[in-house]
Amino acid sequence: MSVKALLCAVLFSLCGTFVQAEPAPTPEGLEFCTVCHGNQLKGNSNIAAPRLSGLDADYLARQLKAFRQGMRGAHPDDENGSLMRPMSSLLSEADIAQVVKWITATESPVPAPSITGDSEHGRQLFQSCAACHGANAMGNVQLGAPSLVALNDWYVVNQLQHFRDGLRGEQASDTYGQMMVAASKVLSSNQDINDVVAYINTLK
Amino acid sequence: MQNFTRRQFLSLVGAAGGTSALLKTSLALGLMADVNYAGPVSINAPTSNKKPTALILGAGIAGLATALELERAGFECIIIEASFRPGGRNLTVRHGDKIDEMGNPQICQFDQQENLYFNCGPARIPGHHRRLLHYCRTLNVPLQIKANSCKLAYFQDDKTFGGKPIRQIEYHADVRGLLSELVWKSANAKHYDALLSEEDVAKLVKFAQLHGDLSESGQYLGTERAGATNDRMLQFPTSHQPIELQAMLNSSFWHGGLLGAELYDWCEPLMEPIGGMDAVVKAFLRNLKKAPLLNAQVKKIYNVDGGVEVTFEQGGRYHTVKADYCFNNIPAYFMAGIDNNFTQQYQAGLNSIKRGHLFKIAYQMKERFWEKEGIYGGISYSADPITQIWYPSHDIHTAKGIVLGAYTWEPQISAKFEAMSQTERLQAGAASGNKIHPGFSQFIENGITIPWARINHQMGCGMRMDEEDFLAYFELLQQPEGRHLMIGDQISHHSGWQEGALASSEQALQQLNKLLVMHSQQAGGGRYVS
Ligand SMILES: Cc1cc2nc3c(=O)[nH]c(=O)nc-3n(C[C@H](O)[C@H](O)[C@H](O)COP(=O)(O)OP(=O)(O)OC[C@H]3O[C@@H](n4cnc5c(N)ncnc54)[C@H](O)[C@@H]3O)c2cc1C
Ligand code: HEC
Ligand code: HEC
Repeated sequence: MSVKALLCAVLFSLCGTFVQAEPAPTPEGLEFCTVCHGNQLKGNSNIAAPRLSGLDADYLARQLKAFRQGMRGAHPDDENGSLMRPMSSLLSEADIAQVVKWITATESPVPAPSITGDSEHGRQLFQSCAACHGANAMGNVQLGAPSLVALNDWYVVNQLQHFRDGLRGEQASDTYGQMMVAASKVLSSNQDINDVVAYINTLK
Repeated sequence: MQNFTRRQFLSLVGAAGGTSALLKTSLALGLMADVNYAGPVSINAPTSNKKPTALILGAGIAGLATALELERAGFECIIIEASFRPGGRNLTVRHGDKIDEMGNPQICQFDQQENLYFNCGPARIPGHHRRLLHYCRTLNVPLQIKANSCKLAYFQDDKTFGGKPIRQIEYHADVRGLLSELVWKSANAKHYDALLSEEDVAKLVKFAQLHGDLSESGQYLGTERAGATNDRMLQFPTSHQPIELQAMLNSSFWHGGLLGAELYDWCEPLMEPIGGMDAVVKAFLRNLKKAPLLNAQVKKIYNVDGGVEVTFEQGGRYHTVKADYCFNNIPAYFMAGIDNNFTQQYQAGLNSIKRGHLFKIAYQMKERFWEKEGIYGGISYSADPITQIWYPSHDIHTAKGIVLGAYTWEPQISAKFEAMSQTERLQAGAASGNKIHPGFSQFIENGITIPWARINHQMGCGMRMDEEDFLAYFELLQQPEGRHLMIGDQISHHSGWQEGALASSEQALQQLNKLLVMHSQQAGGGRYVS
């Protein structure tokens, strides 16, 4: 009996309306990623787990390794990072390749804005970001700078604060993170952060 | 009447009419309503010839009970459960069972023996949880008394009494003695003369003396009520040296453990199903016509014309099913990750439900050493992060036993345990256990840890809303959103108790009755809209 026939046997009269969509299937053993990151990894603000679809493969692999090695998410004050860190601990190198392939195959809507700020001021601030993340904030794979338009705005705010406050990118061996630590210095207040994020929202 | 508190009024009624008058009046006043429970909602089954259908998302206690009542009313139900097992937070583990902690999956290593199990989630049932007890009775779940307090168990705090564990009975007796001494003194100092007649003051003095076991001159000098420091069978009993008032005030026990058996939900005697709390889950499953679909994670919920369409993923494939109604038992904070077409307001309500952090440790002990200390159940309280140690009151005098080595609900404390590795958690628990029972750790054969905020598909227990959110959203979340209704202890005033989950189900089924009337009228009038 095929899986579908078997399910029909189980699923009574609803077989008639039984349809199959074509979203990226979740690989076996990775279902739990979607418990936090949501359907098609669209993100869930209640868990502080960001959208992952739309990020590039190199960046994703680097983050998963950073979590696994304790380069990210190990700071005692990094509540969200330390929620994620153990989730990477069981992934082998080969698994990570597999995981990244799946993440980049997912499709989910670009997150709706939730942060308000002065986007005009943000535009000025963003000029320093554009060098690496691109004028449209779509990221630059060569430089290792991820897309910012792919992300939930609350998560971007959070990460900028973490770079600034020494919760992310602090370790000397974290060369990519260190770039961002330096770059985050341009933002001198939480208001600056909100403003730049408000501007990024206009690019979505 | 106006100036009376309800309690004053009741004591008057009690004095005048005896206890039955008291009971009737209590009910009239809306107190003790839980004793008056009339049974599950009777669902007004629709009369059309097509069998009505319902989707139940999540096989927690609320989902299972809702499905059972709907099936009994003639509904065809599908329960869609994301986990590999039904039951949700009602989880009992035994030899070989998986504890599905994300990032740290564990397999329980207890010996393969019927009496070696651990209730990772719910463990106790008070006599006034009428809904749960209704199902235990009618679905044949045998119960036994669970000792939730033991006066011979300990209280331990590094900062007081030199870190020495104190028997709770000594502490209780001393607290009563010391407070009674204060009452005695102030009564004699005429502090109550404006309030009470001379005769009543005399009664109060007598009461204080008896309550605290005070000497004729109103002093508390220790009491035989807490046992003796020598062999009280063969020697003249010597009572323990009482705690000083100052030391008692400085101790932490009175703002925690002292009230352990005083709260309504913990009032003695408590009960537990024989053989583990999951007997409740098994009972529902025995009585359901259709077993839940497992490993089926809901991904989308859409209100559509005349029904609800739900998409779930199972084995890497997405499937969509449709039914007339949908009862959603999924923890609300997951809903932002699940596609839906709810109103913004409703989704905002769901987002306002915050995760709680509960954490437990359990150890298999090769000997029931606590029984040699006279402890046959109940709880020792610790000022360490472990907070408490529970001793099993079932299977007394058998060879081994499962001891709860930590149970915390303070978010910061639980978060500390969550951040530790498995070994660190077990070691921290053992170290604190050693302070209460020297040698505790030498009896440990293996252990498990259950950080509920990290458990797959649960990620918390004891959901809560800020007061403002509560006022803004709670009632909204009790209402149907289209043909979709939220259930679970999260939609009750009593999150963290199965009774809350069952109450939410009852409330949702009452709402369903209204929808059924509305929809049948619409169908009859030829204006079939949802
Ligand atoms: C440590 C602890 C101690 C407790 N002590 C007691 C006690 O002594 N007495 C007592 O009565 N109660 C106690 N409780 C509370 C009791 O466990 C809960 O109130 C009750 O089990 C909640 O049932 P529920 O149906 O509301 O939700 P849950 O049990 O949370 O059920 C939700 C279900 O939804 C499933 N789900 C999640 N996501 C999806 C998805 N996307 N698709 C499909 N399904 C999904 C979950 O896997 C789960 O099965 C305790 C709980 C804990 C954790
Ligand atoms: C328990 C919840 C949880 C689970 C399960 C989980 N994550 Fe995460 N994840 C998070 C949180 C929270 C963050 C944000 C961390 C931060 O703020 O620094 C995150 C961040 C990430 C990031 C970094 C994103 C970025 O833009 O830098 C990646 C990649 C990621 N997770 C992948 C995964 C994968 C793959 C899985 C499954 C193997 C997974 N996560 C499982 C909660 C979770
Ligand atoms: C010198 C190049 C450079 C500049 C300038 C720069 N970034 Fe970055 N940014 C990076 C790199 C590289 C990373 C990836 C870090 C890592 O791998 O941990 C990054 C990461 C980020 C992240 C984290 C994304 C995620 O998914 O977690 C955010 C948010 C971010 N940058 C925002 C900004 C903003 C806003 C500015 C301007 C104020 C800025 N960046 C300027 C290089 C740069």
